[in-house]
Amino acid sequence: MNKVGIVSYGSYIPKYRISVEEIAHIWGEDATELKNQLQVPKKSVLGLDEDVVTMAVESARNAVNLWDGDPKLIGAIYVGSESHPYAVKPTATIVSEALPTGKEIMAADLEFACKAGTAGMQMCFGLVKSDMINYGLAIGSDDSQAKPSDPLEYTAAAGSAAILIGREGIIAELEGTYSVTSDTPDFWRREGATYPSHGQRFTGKPAYFQHSIDATKGMMNQLQTNPSDYDYVVFHQPNTKFPLSVAKMLGFTKEQVELSLVCRHIGNTYSASSMLGLNRILEKASSGERILMTSYGSGAGSDSFSFMVTDKIEELQAYPFDIEYYIKRTIDINYGLYTRYKGLLK
Amino acid sequence: MEPPKIWREKRQRYLALGISCKKCGKRSFPLSEYCPYCGTNDVEEYRLAETGKILYFTNVSMASNEMAFNAPYCLGIIELNDGIKVTGQIIDCDYKDLKNGMEVKMVFRILARDGHEGLIKYGFKFTSI
Repeated sequence: MNKVGIVSYGSYIPKYRISVEEIAHIWGEDATELKNQLQVPKKSVLGLDEDVVTMAVESARNAVNLWDGDPKLIGAIYVGSESHPYAVKPTATIVSEALPTGKEIMAADLEFACKAGTAGMQMCFGLVKSDMINYGLAIGSDDSQAKPSDPLEYTAAAGSAAILIGREGIIAELEGTYSVTSDTPDFWRREGATYPSHGQRFTGKPAYFQHSIDATKGMMNQLQTNPSDYDYVVFHQPNTKFPLSVAKMLGFTKEQVELSLVCRHIGNTYSASSMLGLNRILEKASSGERILMTSYGSGAGSDSFSFMVTDKIEELQAYPFDIEYYIKRTIDINYGLYTRYKGLLK
Repeated sequence: MEPPKIWREKRQRYLALGISCKKCGKRSFPLSEYCPYCGTNDVEEYRLAETGKILYFTNVSMASNEMAFNAPYCLGIIELNDGIKVTGQIIDCDYKDLKNGMEVKMVFRILARDGHEGLIKYGFKFTSI
């Protein structure tokens, strides 16, 4: 069987941040209690001239620059997001021209709430493994929306992650992938609606936790592995508390999940969330280490992946524009500027 | 914002493409069928360096309609590391923090939006490293 895996990765996080205190002050909420609950002190916010396309291009260019290969060898681009700037006009077409790939490429935009990016990863793995393409690029990019004063407003952030998949120069070999899907109405946005709605606490147990647990257990059952077989584990990060809780429920230690928690610094980046967590691990992992990743998308479903890190990884770890670079470059903004940057003033 | 114009200029804006003259050897921006120095049409596409330094800069507060969404903004002349000078926005910064000689790199951003229903024009801008 052909080997397939990750050959490069790239990340992008916008520079602007708004704190939980600043948002809580506007709505008369208790910031200390919110921070204890969410364990997210600040979230990232797009600049005035940024959107899902610009973030996707930046993360994709970082992945291609790190790889140092010819982007014309890329045979597919899939961009997962729930905040594409066009309802009709694919983000993937603009990313393709901006790399630039060749014109002979499969491309599409995907939507499955916060797991649309990992759905793209699965499509690329399948296409590469079946020899239909040499390389595929899966991107999760989101400028998540939240109704002002809604609990989501404290965490709905912006960011992008790109994963380049191929069969040559693999830095993390795919051992297996496993998905679960069910019709679960925990979070939704109707056509034409500006903001998403959600089922409050219903988003937890029957939605995030059940699907993350089922997919992760299914993945480990398929490979006959246990939590102790993994050095790192990544879950979707709507806040910092949820991935820590689901890790504990499944028998993983806090140390196994801690490195992936990008959410602790920038909030919930939706389609990019679990992929940014994976990228952060790839920046630090060593040859022979094993990574388990499980995304979650409302609606609902989870994609789980098992990776074995190869000895090629160290060649791709000295790159200046890594997640730490983007976490550290910040400009704090107040709620007034936030309303302008988010386009809340109509 | 006309679709044909956006389509025609997309590669130049996305990839920062200029030309390199096969006759006189000089490089220039923007894309053109003719060398602005010697007039020959024996030219090839050339992708500009992605990093450089600020030569001059100013603050634009009275912006055109399609640029008004991000006014006030900083505009600069950047000397790229390949010697070519280009004009571009310097973003994610405060005007008072800019300095001549500051190192910058190209980033991909929205240049203009045609209202809420029209096209979005993308291209390169600059940010401090």
